[in-house]
Amino acid sequence: MIAEAATYAKPGEGGAVDGAALPLVVEHVAKGYDFNGQVVPVIADLSLTLRKGEIVSIVGPSGCGKTTLLNTLCGLLAPDAGRIRWHGRQVVGQPQNVGYMLQKDLLFPWRTALANTMLGLEIRGVPAAEAEDRSRAMLDQLGLHGFADHYPATLSGGMRQRVALARTLVNDPDVLLLDEPFAALDFQTKLLIENDMVSLVRKGGRSMLLITHDIEEAVSIADRVIVLTRRPTAVKAAYEIELGSDRADVISLRENPDFSRYVRRIWANLDVAIQ
Amino acid sequence: MVDASKPAGCVPSPVARAKWTRLRFSIAVLATQVLVLAALLVMWERATPKGSPAAFMFGSPSAIAGFLVQMARDGSLWRDAGVTGMETLLGFFMGNLVGTLLGLSLWYSRFVSRVVQPFVIALGSIPIIALAPIVIIWFGTGLVSKVAMSTLSVVIVALVTSYKGAIGVDGDQINLMKTLGASKFQIFRKLVVPASLTDIFAGLKLTVGFALIGAIVGEFMSSSEGLGHAIFKAGSLYIIPKVFAALVVTIVLALVLTWIVGKIERLLIPWRRQA
Ligand SMILES: Nc1ncnc2c1ncn2[C@@H]1O[C@H](COP(=O)(O)OP(=O)(O)O)[C@@H](O)[C@H]1O
Ligand SMILES: [Mg+2]
Repeated sequence: MIAEAATYAKPGEGGAVDGAALPLVVEHVAKGYDFNGQVVPVIADLSLTLRKGEIVSIVGPSGCGKTTLLNTLCGLLAPDAGRIRWHGRQVVGQPQNVGYMLQKDLLFPWRTALANTMLGLEIRGVPAAEAEDRSRAMLDQLGLHGFADHYPATLSGGMRQRVALARTLVNDPDVLLLDEPFAALDFQTKLLIENDMVSLVRKGGRSMLLITHDIEEAVSIADRVIVLTRRPTAVKAAYEIELGSDRADVISLRENPDFSRYVRRIWANLDVAIQ
Repeated sequence: MVDASKPAGCVPSPVARAKWTRLRFSIAVLATQVLVLAALLVMWERATPKGSPAAFMFGSPSAIAGFLVQMARDGSLWRDAGVTGMETLLGFFMGNLVGTLLGLSLWYSRFVSRVVQPFVIALGSIPIIALAPIVIIWFGTGLVSKVAMSTLSVVIVALVTSYKGAIGVDGDQINLMKTLGASKFQIFRKLVVPASLTDIFAGLKLTVGFALIGAIVGEFMSSSEGLGHAIFKAGSLYIIPKVFAALVVTIVLALVLTWIVGKIERLLIPWRRQA
């Protein structure tokens, strides 16, 4: 059975009491860009909720405002209207315990894999020895044992993105915000790194918001897929993905017959017609 | 790959072959350069027989070589090169230190950098020689005025290149630092400064020549030693081969200083060497 449910937050829903338990609540957020003195609306009116331990994928047509949404959520852009609450509270500036990852690995070329991984801990003033131990352990968990002292220029694209993932996860974030992090990788590399990431995220009970243009990726990873409309964007539909209880193995999950059914339904609902 | 069935060393490995191809290429380049130089010198020598008016006007390679030997023997070569080298190094050091510190710190405040901009452009457009009379009045005719001239010809270039490097830092990398909770100073120290190093070093190599020009212009105006002094004196006595001899020493000095900066760059930017 495929369940289709509107689980995005309704106005007034999730007040202070139960809202505090939710890692992220977005209510009626709007955002536009100033273009030659005119405001071009990018996000029209968008509401969504992220539950603890939940993985949500966001898909939408190219240029609809997915990156703008993510940058607004993590405080890099200010919304024009609406409310964003992290763990029940509105924050000024960057929310704490939120990891952020882009398609570009953004590794610093002057730092080794280890030193890149340590960046966040260093910024928070974690003692160097502890930061190094934790970072080495995280690199090991992501299959980068023996590459800790390599500079990014000597690593492959997949390995670099693994280091970027280690740099995100080592800070022990409650929520991960990812903007098409694996879009530049080849298919096999992408599957393997996704698999490792999802099992680490699920094991740690973290929540994750994954933006992607790859519907198969969205369905295989997420508990819920949110489809956005074209710009100015809003939530068009949401799909609860029910593919059994073991969701950590995203590779064998693709053989589930329901998997392709979800993919087809979401594909049909996406505004991809040539404009 | 190591192939055990073949004796090692019989067939050159692809790596060794690529290395040999590169080596052959650079040998060919060097040989051609030497040949071109030799041909030019031979033609010059033929066109300027001893005692001819041409030899008086243009000097001749053999006469220049004679002066070089004489200057080396009587010690004036080492003394003049030493004096000019010292002035250049001090001016280079001070100009780059002050310029780079100012340029990088302008990253801190968009407001201050806007305010300062026209002044920097105005100062940068002053031909350095126009400042020489004032510098000599202020700093006397000794070493200090040459160092001041050298510093002045370096400082604006260093300021502009380091500022460009600082504001050229990838906005996504800055966003990453913000999401990791970095303060403005942490962003500056851990991202902006190292990211600007490449530009700073490009500026350093450029300013070796400027520092030398500043020192020599200072010596032209008033001095009792240094390569500028030697060139000026030989010129006013119409000893043209000696002018060329001092020029040769100046060129060698510039090459040596540039080479040293390149070595330091390799030491300080190891991530590029490994790449
Ligand atoms: N800084 C900006 N200034 C003006 N317009 C922008 C800016 N960033 C993005 N846009 C525009 O906003 C729209 C949404 O962009 P984006 O959020 O990057 O889309 P997506 O990530 O879904 O592809 C696009 O039409 C883009 O051109
Ligand atoms: Mg995008």
